[in-house]
Amino acid sequence: MTTIIPRVRVPATAAPGEIVRIRTLLTHPMETGRRKGPDGVVVPRWIVTRFVAAFAGETIVSVEIDPAIAANPYFEFDARLEASGVFTFRWTDDIGAVYEVTQDIVVG
Amino acid sequence: MSAQTRRKVLALGGAAVVAGLAPHVGPARAGEVDARIAAFTGGAVIGGSGVTLSIAALVENGVSVPIAFDAPGAEAVLLLAPANPDPQAAIFRFGPRAGSRSVATRVRLAESQTVRVIARFPDGRCAGAEAAVDVVVGGCVI
Amino acid sequence: MLLDRRGAIRAGLAAVAALAAPAVLGQARPRVVVVGGGAGGASFARALAMGGGGGVDVTLIEPSKEYYTCFFGNLYIGGFVEFASLGHSYAGLAVNHAINVVHDWALAIDRDPRQVVLAGGGRVPYDRLVLSPGIDFIEGAIPGWDIAAEARMPHAYKGGTQVALLKAQVAAMPQGGVFALVAPPNPYRCPPGPYERVSMIAHHLRATNPTAKILIFEPKEAFAKQQLFEAGWSDHYPGMIEVLPDAFTGGVERVDAAAMEIVAGGEVTRVDAACVIGPQRAGRIVQVAGLTDATGWAPIDPFTMRARADPFVTVLGDSAQPGDMPKSAFAANSQAKVAAMAILVDLLEAPGFAPRYANVCWSLIDTDDCVRIGAAFAPTPEKIATVDGSAFLSAVGEDAETRRTNYLASLAWYAAITNDMFAGSPSAAATR
Repeated sequence: MTTIIPRVRVPATAAPGEIVRIRTLLTHPMETGRRKGPDGVVVPRWIVTRFVAAFAGETIVSVEIDPAIAANPYFEFDARLEASGVFTFRWTDDIGAVYEVTQDIVVG
Repeated sequence: MSAQTRRKVLALGGAAVVAGLAPHVGPARAGEVDARIAAFTGGAVIGGSGVTLSIAALVENGVSVPIAFDAPGAEAVLLLAPANPDPQAAIFRFGPRAGSRSVATRVRLAESQTVRVIARFPDGRCAGAEAAVDVVVGGCVI
Repeated sequence: MLLDRRGAIRAGLAAVAALAAPAVLGQARPRVVVVGGGAGGASFARALAMGGGGGVDVTLIEPSKEYYTCFFGNLYIGGFVEFASLGHSYAGLAVNHAINVVHDWALAIDRDPRQVVLAGGGRVPYDRLVLSPGIDFIEGAIPGWDIAAEARMPHAYKGGTQVALLKAQVAAMPQGGVFALVAPPNPYRCPPGPYERVSMIAHHLRATNPTAKILIFEPKEAFAKQQLFEAGWSDHYPGMIEVLPDAFTGGVERVDAAAMEIVAGGEVTRVDAACVIGPQRAGRIVQVAGLTDATGWAPIDPFTMRARADPFVTVLGDSAQPGDMPKSAFAANSQAKVAAMAILVDLLEAPGFAPRYANVCWSLIDTDDCVRIGAAFAPTPEKIATVDGSAFLSAVGEDAETRRTNYLASLAWYAAITNDMFAGSPSAAATR
């Protein structure tokens, strides 16, 4: 059974107007559908297709993902924060699974 | 022996990894790259400044290659690995909470190639950058 | 009569010695001293004794009376081989090759009078010295991980007790517990070793503790055979193994062995068992002999394995800067043969041959699923370099029979190299 755990690294606090660096990692095989498994059968394609990072309901960045993104997709980007709130990070893959994690930050 | 020679030597080993599994770059894929770019730019001319691309010139293993770009003011960025079986890597779209247009991620590179990045700005202007990467062992099939 | 009998035994021993050294009885033979009885040192001692036809006096200094190979230790962790099968006696080197095996620690090298200083107080003079002590961990590189901490967070990267300890700690994990491996930065012993270890631990956990998790704290951007391991992990152990690169975590800052915590980028991860493989450098004796440079490893002449810093000292195996060769048992054994030839040319004016090196590293991912990487190497004035076109690597998606053939080849290699090192000394397993 596969349990996929999304992980994020976000600072616990920030000053108003501060730009904070965010790092995200999803351990996901990103199967391209181009390799054979040990039984000689092609392993079906299984790709994370979308990632959205948001803060207080507003998008920071959204990513349309293709197989050339390496297995275990890793993204590092910046957010600008004016007030305390909640980050939402959501990954969607092509078998319809959704992986989501939320993280609070205190701004002030 | 130079790094260059060593790369060639190891590339032979690496070739076995992808042989028979990854199709070679052909006109069909070049056509797909052009189509992806056109869909992204809407046919705009791609200028030479406005985006920077960082990636190592030589990597031992194409399975996971750090790559970063910075495109101040861009609304979206297209990342391409044109020699991969699936040449488009990602499209990044920035929202109101973006603190910069500087992103780092990891790509897999099937073989040595020139990686491209194209940024699109709110006024419709586009800018591109590219970087040649020598890959010792290709990483496309997993 | 007892005296007669003892005399007869002495005569018998003399006959053996005479067979081993027909040409030089009564002459002063050149003395070659070897420090370290592993894949480099033991292979070298035997190759030199055989090639020298008794013309060289060979002393091997090695503290262990029974040597446990580090290689194949992962297969013991996975339950594929018995612990006892990894142990080997030096009796074969003494009996079959008249090598003087001294069980002591080499504390220092006096390069001016050319003597090895032993912890036991003795001094062993040499005409040529060969150092093959393997690796040491860089002290203080991971705060909180010291010799005491190695009891709770073993490296298991030198053979024997540490490997047994790690296996026991993995077996004692609670159901659904977390195992962490802290991987080393380059360069280090056995590049695929940490990832074969993770595979073998996953193999054990899948059967006994299937909800357990494995975390790898990874300082390198990419690791050996990565695409093969990642495909294998996805096939055999889906969802069990997570790689946490330094880029994401910020890197391991310290560990707390008492609390079983790993701290990376300010975030604390509590684990139930851990293997910490710290940053490495040449074995201590190579350092104190003054043969290393700023890298922590010993520069060598690629044609002979002689230390750049001293033509009377050869450095083999993991402690050397091997150019394109990885640090592996196969590589050390290959270097030992070149070095033995070079010293015989030097001391006995024996005919030489063009030096050639080789390496193959096998890694077992799951039962009968074994991958390999290898190449041939030749010296250039700058370094030992990969021979054009010689490199090979297992393919992702190749058939099961190929993988099984690799596994059988790895078992055959183990038998061959340990025979090369220990001259047919029975392993402890065979004596039970």
